[in-house]
Amino acid sequence: MPSDDAVHYEELTTDVAIVGAGGAGLMCALHCHAGAPGLDITVISKGAVGRSGCTRMVQGGYNAVIDPADSLDAHLVDTLRGGKYLNDQRLADALVRDAPKVIRELETTVGCFFDRRPDGAIKQKAFAGQSFDRTVHRGDLTGIEIMSRLRDQMFRIGARELEDVRALDLVFDAEGELAGMTCLEIATGRFILVRARVVVVATGGAATMYRIAAPAREKTGDGVAMCLRAGLPVRDMEMMQFHPTGLLAGASRMTGAVLEEGLRGAGAHLFNARGERFMASYDPERMERSTRDVVARASYTEITAGRGTEAGGVLIDISHLGAEAVERSFPGMVQRTRQIGQDLATGPVEVSPTAHFHMGGVVIDPHCRTAVDGLLVAGEDAGGVHGANRLGGNGVAESTVFGCRAGDTAASMAGGRGLRTPDPASVAASFARALAPLDGPGTESPFPLTRDLKDLMWADCGVVRDAKGLSEARTALAALGERARRLAVPGPAVFNPAWQEALDVRNQLIVARTIVESALLREETRGAHARSDFPDRRDDVWLRSIRLTSDGPDSDPRLWTVPVEFPLRGPDADAESGGAR
Amino acid sequence: MGRLRRTAAAGRPPDDGLTVTIQRGDPGARTGFRVATFTPMTVLDVLLAVQREHDPSIGFRFSCRVGMCGTCGVRVNGRSVLACQTPVPENGEPVAIAPMAGFPVVRDLIVDTTPFWDEWRRVTPYVVPAEDAAEPARIAPDSPERRAIDPSLDCVQCGVCFSSCGIAGGSRTFLGPAALNRALVLVNDSRDTATQERLDLVSGPDGVDRCHYIYGCSSACPKGLDPAASIRRLRRGR
Repeated sequence: MPSDDAVHYEELTTDVAIVGAGGAGLMCALHCHAGAPGLDITVISKGAVGRSGCTRMVQGGYNAVIDPADSLDAHLVDTLRGGKYLNDQRLADALVRDAPKVIRELETTVGCFFDRRPDGAIKQKAFAGQSFDRTVHRGDLTGIEIMSRLRDQMFRIGARELEDVRALDLVFDAEGELAGMTCLEIATGRFILVRARVVVVATGGAATMYRIAAPAREKTGDGVAMCLRAGLPVRDMEMMQFHPTGLLAGASRMTGAVLEEGLRGAGAHLFNARGERFMASYDPERMERSTRDVVARASYTEITAGRGTEAGGVLIDISHLGAEAVERSFPGMVQRTRQIGQDLATGPVEVSPTAHFHMGGVVIDPHCRTAVDGLLVAGEDAGGVHGANRLGGNGVAESTVFGCRAGDTAASMAGGRGLRTPDPASVAASFARALAPLDGPGTESPFPLTRDLKDLMWADCGVVRDAKGLSEARTALAALGERARRLAVPGPAVFNPAWQEALDVRNQLIVARTIVESALLREETRGAHARSDFPDRRDDVWLRSIRLTSDGPDSDPRLWTVPVEFPLRGPDADAESGGAR
Repeated sequence: MGRLRRTAAAGRPPDDGLTVTIQRGDPGARTGFRVATFTPMTVLDVLLAVQREHDPSIGFRFSCRVGMCGTCGVRVNGRSVLACQTPVPENGEPVAIAPMAGFPVVRDLIVDTTPFWDEWRRVTPYVVPAEDAAEPARIAPDSPERRAIDPSLDCVQCGVCFSSCGIAGGSRTFLGPAALNRALVLVNDSRDTATQERLDLVSGPDGVDRCHYIYGCSSACPKGLDPAASIRRLRRGR
């Protein structure tokens, strides 16, 4: 292995560097180009541009107020209620206000075509936790339409694409001003220093750190970890959403893939292994159409109380609508279940809560600005939009709405920000850190380390938590961190998945620690964060957001809390219990 | 109600393993493996098992693992497929995994799909809207336009059809099945204004007349699309 100062790298200069090529990243590129057509834009993607990450995996659809009978206020109230009032209301308001505009843009400019009603207007379907059927969709595989068309738009605007390139660290100049970032080209093993006037981080969340998890492979918290290493504050990291209906497919990688929310919206029932429709004991009014946090916790409770199936699941059944209707409305979901030897159209299918979406993330303002000048964050890497629980259909809305906003901000910001010269020592240190596992002297393979992290997070920081488990998780994470220092992988630098896995798990460990520490501090049950030792929602104490920052990967994180502000709507109107029983 | 039924496939008893051969780039790299099977198990699961249990350096690509990203294309026993959508054979016969044909190999099973994208770009794959389009168009789902388009949607640009096409994957220039399927969608899309340019392109020397109707594309498409039918309809409609 070369010594630290011998790491060779190439340098690339651009105006706006966007990390991530999902819904947020590509909408950002589009808006940045539209706002300032002369700017040099570089999209940096760990996977294939437009075909990795989770916007691509969106099934059910996109919440937007486009029907005159609906209202922005109703969407806002649904979003805040769903988020148990932990949301940054300015961000939730931006989401709700911009979503109709962005749906129009996706249809009229980007070229998406969403399903229509018989009269030719855009159709909207029912999702859980909403007072109006406002979810726009294209069949039950909406993400393919959105991301394929965004991928095509990249050909139109001609942004530079660094495909199969991993962003490593943000780098700063001698005065501490943002100068760009270090990158690793996966396909060649070549290091690249990207100098940029503006950096946009939009890599997606970190839910893959759970044993049963829904997201695409790439989502390993890279963006949040990069921001944490640079000292940025994050918020609400304890808020990890579990989608209630993840597929159980044994040891297959398919396990954890989501069966979409529209099933519950359309009237699917959930049963435990005794054939009881158990939601009657948890939310008799809304039943299966309750929000994800409530349904996931109910399923988990049934399973851990011994009323689950042999494989550790519950059953979703929509066959009472008739096989033909199910096949017509949910062809993708039916196909997915038949692939594993079950059949959604004709009978129940085994499902489990699955780690799905991180509500927590980097603190941003409504223009996606952060505590660092020149650094913007958009999409799942940012926190605050969804509070303690995200509504189905608000995820792709967030990524595209805030992607647009980041692009607008970047376009106006880039002209006024000069290129800075990155501090050479931190550039070299970043490359050396990335290179260390490759044919390194250590003894730890990344794959068992990832597996152990997933088991740990599922068992001790999962759907329902308590102080004992979380304290054990804290200790166990420290041990995993020790093992991560000894990571080593064999093989070439060129397209080496094991090396990439080593870099992924390092990032996951950084984010995992913030989740565990925040979850220990929040001694109540709210939204996705359920504490069996503190089963009630405590509005008197905990209408507060937990913030966290870290001076470096080896230093202890610093936590503090900030009271939630209610500029638009107070929580008194519709308090409800947390319900972690 | 509420009772789980399983079909025969899921009830298959575990056996004592599967023999896998993987085409590798490095001359000295190990190519033969034996992995324990489980049910359900896809070719992607086989690759992950080899990577975790035998050889962490093996190169392959995947992302979503549920047939949405279209990045895990490989050849299994000679046929181009998406690894995540391909169950392992039930009879325990050996599985040979190779990179998709028709593309340069980057490493092991990873190919460079640039030839596919070069053709895709040529059809102007995005809608060219009218200047004054501000509101979503009113188009009924049972309109002739949508009836023409809908069967050709949900392409994931995996390149499996391109790889399975004797002409696109060969040495002659040919727009290929996926790009022509996309062209058909846009030619029928009333929101688009570049119809004539696309019709000229698909009628040109690299267009529909290159197709010999071998149907490699339609039999291989992991999304069940029928690009050969799209090509036929473009031929009729020009």
